[in-house]
Amino acid sequence: MNISLFNQMIKLNMKNFLSFGFGSALYVVLMTSLYPMFAENAEAINELIKIIPETLKNALGFDSLTSYGGFISAEYFGMFFPIILSVFSVMTATQLLAHLVDKGSMAYLLSTKVSRIQIAVTQAIVLISGLLFIVLLTFLGGIVAGEILIDEQISLEFNTFFQINLGGFLLFFVVGGYSFLVSSLCNDEKKSLGIAGALTSIFYGLDMAGKISSELEWLRNITPFSLYNPSEIASGDAEIFIPSLILLGIGLFNYSAAVVVFKLRNLPL
Amino acid sequence: MIEIHGLTQQFSNGRGIFDVTFEVEKGEVFGFLGPNGAGKSTMIRHLMGYMKPQKGTAIIHGFNTWEQQEKAREKVGYLPGEISFLDGMNGLEFINLMAGMQGLKDKKWQNELIEQLQFDPKTPFRKMSKGMKQKVGIVVTFMHNPEIYILDEPTSGLDPLMQKVFIDLVLEEKAKGKTFIMSSHSFAEIERTCDRAAIIKDGRIVTVKNINDLQYMQRKIYDITLENKNDVERIQASNLIIENTNDNVVRIVVQGDYNELIEELSKFNVINISIVSQSIEDVFMNYYDTKGAEK
Repeated sequence: MNISLFNQMIKLNMKNFLSFGFGSALYVVLMTSLYPMFAENAEAINELIKIIPETLKNALGFDSLTSYGGFISAEYFGMFFPIILSVFSVMTATQLLAHLVDKGSMAYLLSTKVSRIQIAVTQAIVLISGLLFIVLLTFLGGIVAGEILIDEQISLEFNTFFQINLGGFLLFFVVGGYSFLVSSLCNDEKKSLGIAGALTSIFYGLDMAGKISSELEWLRNITPFSLYNPSEIASGDAEIFIPSLILLGIGLFNYSAAVVVFKLRNLPL
Repeated sequence: MIEIHGLTQQFSNGRGIFDVTFEVEKGEVFGFLGPNGAGKSTMIRHLMGYMKPQKGTAIIHGFNTWEQQEKAREKVGYLPGEISFLDGMNGLEFINLMAGMQGLKDKKWQNELIEQLQFDPKTPFRKMSKGMKQKVGIVVTFMHNPEIYILDEPTSGLDPLMQKVFIDLVLEEKAKGKTFIMSSHSFAEIERTCDRAAIIKDGRIVTVKNINDLQYMQRKIYDITLENKNDVERIQASNLIIENTNDNVVRIVVQGDYNELIEELSKFNVINISIVSQSIEDVFMNYYDTKGAEK
């Protein structure tokens, strides 16, 4: 890793880190502030939910709305969080390699004694730092809002909420990882954005389809999104250790592959 | 200092470079001359380690430019042909980023360069003219005091005054024993600085010659305006190579021997001499003769 490059890249991407991070944190706070109202009308809402088919309930995580933990994990970590973080991962991964190769600025970065491996590793660390930063802000937002707005009896344990966030980070460690691999393979920025974006939509869709239909449940075996189940973590039913380890492994593999690809390929600079 | 042996890289469209071999000695300024698309940039991209040669090797300072590219680049100052900086930065931030990556500690020379080139480095890139960007590139290329300079079309985009500043800078560094390799599509751009030059055509080196020899070989074309129209016919009867005449303007081609031209012209009343700007193919027609044949 190269410190000068890292600092400058963080500086260039800080605006994105901040807007995605605060956006995500604000959303958690907003959803949390809605919960007390939701809890007051819990019975009526439960009646309403009964109408929804069982499978759809599973997909949307509506089966556990009666607690704050169930609510926030289904309504935020199961829905908007993946969308926000997917957009960030795909965009930033493309920006950090394919964009620089496409534009030709990579020629400058590769004109010094800093090696290709060092550059790719630095850019990967920038991406991972951004993800960590966004999840950290989300986590802090949720903790503070929960402390202030939610009654103690129904609030979520610190540990559980931490696990929901950590799991979320690991999932996007993987999404960022394959996006970064795509980015290191592409000479064309738009192609990188397209392929990584399409992959992410497909993986997200496979997970959804697998949740809705029991016949299609096998689809969940081929998408990383199935390894993150915030609702189950909230209700305490989730196995956390093994899926986290698998996510970490897939992520590390992808980043390493990206670095190797970037070292070995011809660059059109 | 720089050794290139049998370097070959063919692209899918059939173009590329083929079996390129030459050496550049320490302290030498070596020109790489050819029209656009002849393979100059491909050559330089190999020196910088951006692509793996299909055949052959390029070696800088004893290091293979592909396999040990970061070591080969360590003592190189590179000025890319197409300038593209990072978005959202200003010149100084970029210069400092590159200084950090080069491991540069002493900023004295960097500041001197900025002063010599006379520009405000804090200007954001999106507000910079092409010439100004080129200046930022020149600072980045020279500031870490490299031993070898690789310059791709270095003076394009600079106004004549800055071209002179740049040439002085090159000569200054040359006096310190630095080695240069620079590409250009214009002979005039390199003739003031280079010791030797290679002429490249369709990816192959056609000749490597001393700059003096090349100067002697180049064809120059002059438009001579004569006061008296009748003189036009008389000059046509001389041994000079006349390309065409237009009213009282005669276009004369000279290659090497200027005395004959001067002698002949002294017989007439000349009211204007202007030099016709030419492409590299026109200057070294001997090497690029297929162009004429195609017409």
